[in-house]
Amino acid sequence: MKGCRILAAMVLFVLIFSMTAAADSINTTVDVNEGIVLNGDIHLEVLDVGTNWGSYAKLKFYSYKDAGGKTESIYMGDVPTTYTSGTFMKIEVTLDSISYDTAFLMIESTTSLKISDRYGFEGEDETEKEKQKPITVPKLGITRTFDTNRAEQGQTIRTTLTIRNTGNGTATNIVLDEDTITGAYKDGCPSTIDDIAAGETKRISYDLRIVDAQPGTYELSPAILNYESESGATYSSESSSSILEILPEEVRIPELEISIDSVKGIITCGDEFPVTVTITNVGNATTGKVHVKSDLPADVRVVDGDLEPEYESIKPGDSEEYDVSLRAYEQGKHTIEMQVMWGDSEAAASFEFWAEKSGLEQYYLYILAAIPILLLLLWVIKRRREYSY
Amino acid sequence: MLNILILGLGQCGNRILDAINREAFGSGGTFAKYYSRQKFPASVKTIAINTAVNDLKELKNTLAKDRFHVPHLHGVGANRNIGKQVFEENKEMILEEIDKRGSFDLIFVITSTAGGSGSSFAPLLVGELKRTYNAPIICIAVLPFRAEGSIFLQNTAFCLRELVATKSSGILLVDNQYLKKYSGEDIKSAYDKINTTTARRILFLIEALNSEMLMVTDLGDLKTVMSGGIGVGTMGFYEASKGSTIKSTILGSFKPSGLLFPANVYKDGARAMLIIKGDKKYLDLDLVTKTVEELSKEVGQVFKGVLVKKGRPKVLSLFTLNAVPELEKLYTVAAEAIRFEMEKREKSKKQLDNAFAHIEDLEPIY
Ligand SMILES: Nc1nc2c(ncn2[C@@H]2O[C@H](COP(=O)(O)OP(=O)(O)OP(=O)(O)O)[C@@H](O)[C@H]2O)c(=O)[nH]1
Ligand SMILES: [Mg+2]
Repeated sequence: MKGCRILAAMVLFVLIFSMTAAADSINTTVDVNEGIVLNGDIHLEVLDVGTNWGSYAKLKFYSYKDAGGKTESIYMGDVPTTYTSGTFMKIEVTLDSISYDTAFLMIESTTSLKISDRYGFEGEDETEKEKQKPITVPKLGITRTFDTNRAEQGQTIRTTLTIRNTGNGTATNIVLDEDTITGAYKDGCPSTIDDIAAGETKRISYDLRIVDAQPGTYELSPAILNYESESGATYSSESSSSILEILPEEVRIPELEISIDSVKGIITCGDEFPVTVTITNVGNATTGKVHVKSDLPADVRVVDGDLEPEYESIKPGDSEEYDVSLRAYEQGKHTIEMQVMWGDSEAAASFEFWAEKSGLEQYYLYILAAIPILLLLLWVIKRRREYSY
Repeated sequence: MLNILILGLGQCGNRILDAINREAFGSGGTFAKYYSRQKFPASVKTIAINTAVNDLKELKNTLAKDRFHVPHLHGVGANRNIGKQVFEENKEMILEEIDKRGSFDLIFVITSTAGGSGSSFAPLLVGELKRTYNAPIICIAVLPFRAEGSIFLQNTAFCLRELVATKSSGILLVDNQYLKKYSGEDIKSAYDKINTTTARRILFLIEALNSEMLMVTDLGDLKTVMSGGIGVGTMGFYEASKGSTIKSTILGSFKPSGLLFPANVYKDGARAMLIIKGDKKYLDLDLVTKTVEELSKEVGQVFKGVLVKKGRPKVLSLFTLNAVPELEKLYTVAAEAIRFEMEKREKSKKQLDNAFAHIEDLEPIY
């Protein structure tokens, strides 16, 4: 910026120097709220004078064909301020000095200059004038938010600092001073923050990694911002303190449950019947390879399906379910034992059912036993008849 | 295999036949007939013939189809004359029934000589069978208890005479009176015992005749024995006790105590047949031969058969007699009884006539 100014000044100096030969120059006093008309073309009004970082005068230029003109504060000792009218009349203005409400100006131009008119105008009122005064005081407010106030060991809390400059000056040399919990580490949190212009809001987010913080409830001390105004005044502001709760780290393990069931509790010997095996991961981690083992009674056969499948992994909350058709041949109570194995762990389930002989089969033995008795009876009856006279 | 027909006539004959049928079931008891099978030592057909339906119904081990009722309702009441008449009226039917059983190698006719039906049927039937069949016919005649009354004695006397007259192959006597010793207390058990004993001896004889024997006796021998003497004989039996020799066993079968009719075999014996059954280890054949030879000198012709079967030796003797003193006694008693009966009847008649004489010239007045 300074380099630029020097360059511009040098260029202007060369320009001015080269044009002094044909140039005209006037010194004049213009009061605040007073304007002058140069060569009937350019209006130059003094809006204000004052001292701030040196004496200045706030000037307004406009012309016939440039009604908008421009307003500019010029400082004592600065390079001349140039204005070119709509009809390409060019002037250069330098502030010589100011008094209470008067600016001493030196106006130069390539053409001859003449103050064709002088007029007063209604200035802005005092309060307005005061407001307009450039007060360059930055005022930073800071709030701290977390995506969560409760975190487990090993988890990360996303922390957001919202910094708002409610002042009218830019805050510079902003330094963030924020303590954290022992055993927690900030990841991506800057210690210095870029300048924040007046009205600007800046958000800084970073991860607070809870590595080995002891579980408990912590009061996090306020985040403190130390900053300066452009004028070098130092300020400080702080957020409110925050409460963070650190939970003990939850152990992450897969946990499988197996269940076996059938719609039928009583089946008929020799008939196919379906059983459903369900394996659910009720843990909070994904398993490795999962094996299923079964222990069937000697007379029970798998007719259809695989009773002992394998799974590469089962995610927490997920279930694997499969159906198998079985057949039991003998009468009585049966128990199917199922086992699911993963890692070093295993879970088991059992299923009980009754097998009954089908109607005829059920009485098969009795019928079989009854036949010889019947035959004997018939034989006895026959004999009796043979011998009864 | 011999085909044998056994006919049981009258109540007595029926019961002995039933005992034969029961014995054929073996030692199975009362219910054997419901599950067991009769094991006759030959092909045996039995028919129980009676005029009394109740007597036939009383039988237990004889098939219903083997019980033949000659229609005269409830017996002939010991009246042989009625019995003969009934037989003549029904003989075609009876013979037809017998004919259904096929042909026979030997026929037994069992009857009491004392009753009405059996005693009257037997001689007539034997005559008919002789005409129809070529087989030898042996009569088993059961003599009554002497105290049973004059009619039974009279029937016996006539029946026996008629049976001898038929010239059957022979008559084997079974004497209830003589076998009374079996009756412990009542007559029923005496009958049962006599019937069973008789049945067993008949089956023993059949078994011997039908078997391949070590020393052979056959139907021809039997015929020869039965035609000896007066054609009347009886059977003896002896079972060896422990340690007894085969000789003493054989001689035992000749003892009066084992006979079914009282006789002195050594004195009156005409011909005899001995059937020895038992384990080979007891059967000293030389001794058997020697014993039989000795017996022959006293008894006359003695046929012998040896049957090798498990168990201690048992000997059945069967013989005919030259003289039957016991029968003579019986006939004397019978004759006395008949005479007494006649006199009594005449006396009664006279008495009745005298009584009637009182009203001879009178008429009833009303
Ligand atoms: N050994 C023996 N003798 C019997 C038996 N039943 C009857 N008697 C005898 O037989 C004689 C009577 O003859 P039954 O056979 O009853 O007479 P029946 O031939 O039936 O003739 P009716 O009855 O007159 O028509 C008597 O001497 C009885 O002692 C018996 O079961 N065994
Ligand atoms: Mg009778």
